[in-house]
Amino acid sequence: MGPSLGLILLFYFVPVVLTLLIAFTDMGRALKWNFIGLDNFARLFGVGGRDPFIVKIITNTLIYVTGSLPLTVVGGLLLSVLSMRMHRGAGLFFRTVFFIPRAIPPVVWGFLWAWSFEGTRYGLFNGIRAALGLPVVHWLIRYPMLIVILANGFLGISLAMLVFSSAIASIPRDFTRAAEVDGASEWQIVRYIIVPLLKWPILTMTAWHLMSFINSYVYIMLITGGGPYYATEVWALYGYHAAFNQYRYGYGASIMTMLVIVNVILLLILIKAFGMRRMLERGKIEV
Amino acid sequence: MWAKLRWGWDRIVAYLILAAIAAPFLTMYVGFFLRAFGKGMTLGILPKEFGFTNFRFLWEPIAWGLGQTTMWAALGNTLAFAATSGVVVTVICMLAGYALSRIEFRGKNLFLALQLFLHAVPGQVLLIAIFFLLFYIKLLHKIPGVALARASLEIPLGIWMAKGFFDGIPWDVERSAMIDGCTRLQIWYKIFLPLVRPGIAAVFIWGFLFAWHDFIYVYTLLPGTTKLMSTLIQSLLATEVIDYGYLAALSLIYMIPPLSLFVLLQRALLKVPVFGGKGV
Repeated sequence: MGPSLGLILLFYFVPVVLTLLIAFTDMGRALKWNFIGLDNFARLFGVGGRDPFIVKIITNTLIYVTGSLPLTVVGGLLLSVLSMRMHRGAGLFFRTVFFIPRAIPPVVWGFLWAWSFEGTRYGLFNGIRAALGLPVVHWLIRYPMLIVILANGFLGISLAMLVFSSAIASIPRDFTRAAEVDGASEWQIVRYIIVPLLKWPILTMTAWHLMSFINSYVYIMLITGGGPYYATEVWALYGYHAAFNQYRYGYGASIMTMLVIVNVILLLILIKAFGMRRMLERGKIEV
Repeated sequence: MWAKLRWGWDRIVAYLILAAIAAPFLTMYVGFFLRAFGKGMTLGILPKEFGFTNFRFLWEPIAWGLGQTTMWAALGNTLAFAATSGVVVTVICMLAGYALSRIEFRGKNLFLALQLFLHAVPGQVLLIAIFFLLFYIKLLHKIPGVALARASLEIPLGIWMAKGFFDGIPWDVERSAMIDGCTRLQIWYKIFLPLVRPGIAAVFIWGFLFAWHDFIYVYTLLPGTTKLMSTLIQSLLATEVIDYGYLAALSLIYMIPPLSLFVLLQRALLKVPVFGGKGV
């Protein structure tokens, strides 16, 4: 127990405290601890010199989260229901196809999207368009947010689909069979038997991915780098860029601190609403 | 449910919907392989001929910007990074998992809470502080130090996995060893270790795999001159002229070791929970 707690303490609780501390400094490239009080936060909230990008960043983050969260939950539900209600081999094939994003490294997933939606005919989809005689589309410039939402959404779908599928598999056969005997259609079975039984997995996955999407920025960084011109720059990515691209560690830490605060509040609400133990039980259904 | 599937309209619609959603992804995956092994493209995704020119990094150095490295150096760094992380995760999780499974103590629920907390405030958000932490303990820009930081991310879930494996071993085995006069430590390495070998493999792969796939930690905390496979691919993707065939081939080589590990140890891994842990 000792070493594990030590390591978690060192790389987990110390960083949380350190983030809070750095947030109150104007730490720059020289790495000097110079406390400036609440100046960083004042800047974030528009008191005194306002950060000109903040409104854009918050809008982006809201669009990103409200786009990818429903995509993940509804998409995961749709794919798992469809693939579990068809022939076993075919269902397994489709589930494998949609699980691949999670099995490959992030860099490769990022590469696949950057290459597929490249704006010249060397990109995958533009190459196909060019072969069909259609003009090339600059996907990453015209629809950057849509592409970022899809890339992250399908990553979320891979997990949601897996959890929902295992929950569907654990629904007792009698339920669906009884409905079939009574003459229920496929749609009625899904709507009135399967989906109501998946209530807890759906809630768990929604909560889980809500927190994931708020904090995630790695895939956006790999696919668009936040661009073109801040079009896909979300809150967490903005914090990262402030610290590691502009070397404004203090400001970056204050941006991340806001994220930590939002996370903790969300977590408390979720624990209050669901109970901790229930949130950790994965894929269980209550019959 | 499966036995008497009819080909009704609803089922055909289900197939059509799934096929339509899967089509772009299948195009991407197939296109990826064609691009890696192809020379010159016609009709968008069909290669004119097949060959291994895209794999020339196997015998040539790789240049990006003003820097230069070889694929083998990057592969070696990745291996060192992932193996260190895997060993750290395994040793710590096996010890802690045993304790959690066998010894009653307060704060067991702490680990449940920790898992949630870890997901709510993930490592990528704390990266600035981890950067400073490694800087102060003089481990920044060093592979073992960054591997240690990376390993700590997988430990809460790894402990949970290890606990599951120890839970599966009956108490009686342990009790009889105790009656025969074994100490707790002796029990641990004489009785348990051989029994939980699949568990060890699973936890090691867990730690190894996430470190092997990691991008943001190595990109941020290691110097630009120490390339791992992930950062090498990223830096080639960030250059002005991108050779996609070359990058596809490089990505393929990058993915082979974890995939082969997976196939080799498949049986042990069947018992592994696949829940989360990856940021999204």
